[in-house]
Amino acid sequence: MNTSLNWLQDHLDLSDCKTEALADMLTFAGIEVEGIHQQGAGVDKVVVAQIKSSEPHPDAERLSVCQVDDGSGTDRQIVCGAKNYKVGDKVPLALPGAVLPGDFKIKKGKLRGVASNGMMCSGRELSLSNDHEGLLILNTEAATGTPIGELFDSDTVFELEITPNRSDLLSHLGIARELAALTKRSLKSASHHGETSIATQAAKADEIELQAPEACPYYTARRITGVNVGPSPDWLKAKLEAIGLRPINNIVDITNYVLFEMGQPLHAFDADKLQGGICVRQANDGETFVALDGNEYALETDDLVIADQSKALAIGGVMGGEDSGVVETTTNVLLESAYFTPSRIRRTSRRLDLSSDSSYRFERGIDPAQTLGASELATKLILEIAGGKAEDVVLVAGQAPAPPAPVSLDAARAATLLGASLSEEAMGEILTGLGLNALGDGQWKVPSYRLDLERHIDLVEEIARVHGLDNIPSRQEAVFVQPSKDDARYDAHFQLRQQLVHLGYDDCLTIKLISEAQLQDDVCALRLGGQNQPVALKKPLSQDHTTLRPSVVPGLLDVMARNIRQGAHSLKFFEIGTVFSQHVKSPKVLESQQLGIVLAGDMAVPSWHGAPRRADLYDLIGLIEALFSTSKQAITVRKSEEENLLIGAEVLLGKTSIGKLGQLAPARARELDFNGPVFVAEIDLAKALKPSLETEPVQDLPRFPAVTRDIALDVPAEMPNADLAKHFAKQNQPLLVDHQLFDLFADPTGDKLPADRKSLAYTFTYRSPERTLKSGEVDKAHEKIVKSLSQLGDVRVR
Amino acid sequence: MIDQLEAIHQDALNTIADAADDAALESFRIRFLGKKGTLTQAAAGMRDVSKEDKPKVGQKLNEVRQALTSMVEDRAAELIAAKDAAAAKDTDVTLPGRRPQPAALHPLTQMMDRGIKALRQMGFALASGPEVETEFHCFDALNTPEDHPARNEKDTFYFNDGHLLRTHTSSVQVRTMETQAPPIRVIAPGSAYRRDEIDATHLSVFTQMEGLYVAEDVNLGDLKGTLERLFQAIFGPKTPVRFRPHFFPFTEPSFEIDIQLQPKGQAPRWIEIAGCGMVDPNVFAQICESRGDDLYDPDKVTGFAFGLGLERLAMIMWGIPDIRWLIENDQRFLHQFV
Repeated sequence: MNTSLNWLQDHLDLSDCKTEALADMLTFAGIEVEGIHQQGAGVDKVVVAQIKSSEPHPDAERLSVCQVDDGSGTDRQIVCGAKNYKVGDKVPLALPGAVLPGDFKIKKGKLRGVASNGMMCSGRELSLSNDHEGLLILNTEAATGTPIGELFDSDTVFELEITPNRSDLLSHLGIARELAALTKRSLKSASHHGETSIATQAAKADEIELQAPEACPYYTARRITGVNVGPSPDWLKAKLEAIGLRPINNIVDITNYVLFEMGQPLHAFDADKLQGGICVRQANDGETFVALDGNEYALETDDLVIADQSKALAIGGVMGGEDSGVVETTTNVLLESAYFTPSRIRRTSRRLDLSSDSSYRFERGIDPAQTLGASELATKLILEIAGGKAEDVVLVAGQAPAPPAPVSLDAARAATLLGASLSEEAMGEILTGLGLNALGDGQWKVPSYRLDLERHIDLVEEIARVHGLDNIPSRQEAVFVQPSKDDARYDAHFQLRQQLVHLGYDDCLTIKLISEAQLQDDVCALRLGGQNQPVALKKPLSQDHTTLRPSVVPGLLDVMARNIRQGAHSLKFFEIGTVFSQHVKSPKVLESQQLGIVLAGDMAVPSWHGAPRRADLYDLIGLIEALFSTSKQAITVRKSEEENLLIGAEVLLGKTSIGKLGQLAPARARELDFNGPVFVAEIDLAKALKPSLETEPVQDLPRFPAVTRDIALDVPAEMPNADLAKHFAKQNQPLLVDHQLFDLFADPTGDKLPADRKSLAYTFTYRSPERTLKSGEVDKAHEKIVKSLSQLGDVRVR
Repeated sequence: MIDQLEAIHQDALNTIADAADDAALESFRIRFLGKKGTLTQAAAGMRDVSKEDKPKVGQKLNEVRQALTSMVEDRAAELIAAKDAAAAKDTDVTLPGRRPQPAALHPLTQMMDRGIKALRQMGFALASGPEVETEFHCFDALNTPEDHPARNEKDTFYFNDGHLLRTHTSSVQVRTMETQAPPIRVIAPGSAYRRDEIDATHLSVFTQMEGLYVAEDVNLGDLKGTLERLFQAIFGPKTPVRFRPHFFPFTEPSFEIDIQLQPKGQAPRWIEIAGCGMVDPNVFAQICESRGDDLYDPDKVTGFAFGLGLERLAMIMWGIPDIRWLIENDQRFLHQFV
């Protein structure tokens, strides 16, 4: 809310407070100062001038040539682009030599060949308002030549963020009350216009009918006849413009003034446009309403309308209509001041996506005790400014909500929670300053505008707020806690991240919402598949983010593409994070922690030593083996059919499937603008990492030397290494402790080996834990294994 | 004979220096110590030496043979050393080294770990909760009923079945209290979601860290002491920390926390960094209702909670100008965090 310092000073003398000190004070009261704007800071050489004549510019359609009286005795010629004035109007005139806000220097000059000796100004050009639709028309008795600074005080406007619990601060009076409490000052007498003794009269059913008392428990109306609608006086315009409002006419301006003065929204109807009495009712199903903003709204029965006997006049508490408002020809006014139930206004405002200064206040809750006072203040101002005659009584229907109940304060308990040794007296002083009254026995009467003070803790908060956290001693005491499963998981994941980083993989973080196109990318099938489906948002914000990612790989492929575009050669990325899926038959969303890896390009930093090796499938397989195999469970990889993958494989830890890996189909890889194979993997970390405190005892170091024998086998090209490894293990040869593949040879040309064959060479390691082996025993053991190979069929020893 | 041996010795001494390479050294050895070498031939003359002279001459022969043998060995070592030195002479130590590939922990990972480390040292354990949440855990249980002005469905991603993407990690507070008895002292880092268009300062998915301490006598001093320590652990032990009163539905009193930083060449300024407060008694009351017991009776326990945005912390810490850099994963950015 924009808050004018001049306006605040109507209620409170703050002349000795510096702007920064006030801003700090507000900040530490819990009112965030989002901006401070200086306005109308005394511009020299800007004076009141009267337009004597206006002729079209001979060479420019949009310009006029005016003769103006600047008070000097001789008319001054000004070329002007504005259209909103008429001859005889008084306007601000910047004389040559004036420097307007924004360091805009005014000089004598020619516009399209016609001399112009100064500039007539808009409100915004002088930082007096935001209005830039035309010249600022001065409604003033001031003589021409009067410096404009004498008409407009300079002002400081604070842009304040009011938290939703403090609706009482949504007015100048509210802010002034708060500052008075904080600075221990008294409010001026003018601030007590909430208190009124105006006579009221219960409205008859044909005057005001409250059909929906739960939404509008209290409605008042006052009739004022014979008003003169016209521009507001300068003081009123200045007030509204200072806080960024555009003056409209005196009646509307007065209702706006009261809103920002007291926080009570009012509405003025043109009484002659009403047919019969006011009816406050629920909207009819299918009823439509054209509001002041020009839009048509489809209402529901949950919405409240203010209607006459034939039609809706306003969406209650939210916005009036186009047809029943006060315009220049209005002479009789019906002034509404009412209390609306916050939740109802909020529902309507949210559903219609329609918010106004009124609805903003009603939905947060206004002071239920100010309804008549605000009506009275507006009436007084209307009579003063627009003339006319007000009816002696205000018609009222229903009852204002009861004042808040007293709240108790237990000083000892409050002090414990505050952690401060604050006396009961000191607490009482703070509460009294805020307008509460001690009722004795720790009971406090709460002012009607403090809707947020209902419970003990609410009073404690006030004391903490005013006392300030600066004055509360810090306590730094630790407590023993049991590490949780989440701790173990975090540590395991963090260790994994560090391992990957040390191996040259970048730790990535991508958006968990992905697009339809990414979802269609079959890479997602790496994890989905079967009965699992992705989880779609009801109302996505954009086409790029429609679905919760079922896999981390699509995001990582985007990362790869981005880095390829910027010229990276080594593309090694991983992400650890949540992915989401849903079983087709159950709405429950399953969340799991996955590791995704993408790999392509150079496996080393390019250097003068020669070209780096390019990544291949076995870099990825080796990485997964190194990361996840344990002394108890080995990683095995077996081929599986995966859509969109040229090579697909399942990764097992022991017998548990923990994920998939593979090489992207070349067509998909080309979409990344990358010339070469691209590898991906996705591992389910809940299955792959089992954090445990158990340890394994170390194994004895071998005490006797090992003997090795090499063997080269000629096998069919499609025979997997795993078949041979399995066969070697099956032989249960006690002396064979290890076998190692040391060469793979194939010749697609068929020259050195038929194209459908390959040669695998192994080193077998033999060792006994008890003695040094003799050559003969090794030969015997090795021979047995060689002979057993015939069981595999088409395997020949080379 | 002795003269002859001495002459051979002298000859060897005079010519060893000429053995400039392995081949020359080998010829040298053959010339003196080979089968037909001068010393070998001279040794054959021992037969003619008189009996009484034999020990003396024999000794001399051995001396000379030993001297010549070591001469050859020493010279061989010298030649190897010279060869090694020649090979190493032109090594250019200014050539670039063979570096491992650079890679980095993401700045958010690093920031999160800093926070977690600091809070663990203060005795907090980790907790977690689902990202797809119920309205109850995200709003209602946190004292934000449907009509509350602070509850803004417009900012929330919903699913057709009424579930939503949590708008803050505060839902983990509720989940933790539902399942664990007090005292509890937990932190919950994780994603939160808001219907914000992505731009230089907003992400629709961002990372928060929530903290909660509930026990019998937790007060504002605990909140202040803990958060001061946290931000001083992250931004330096002398960082000024201040607490401004604010409003959150689930804490009362509530505060926003600012730290004072001085970017290079600029005046020090206060930067908003987190929100916190004492757990609202309504939250405890709701927990009691959910649990069906009174372990969290607001008359018996008090607590504080805080929440901070890790992207914001990282941006402040490293002067990152655009929040999108944190999700783009450009190597040129990431490798600055190696």
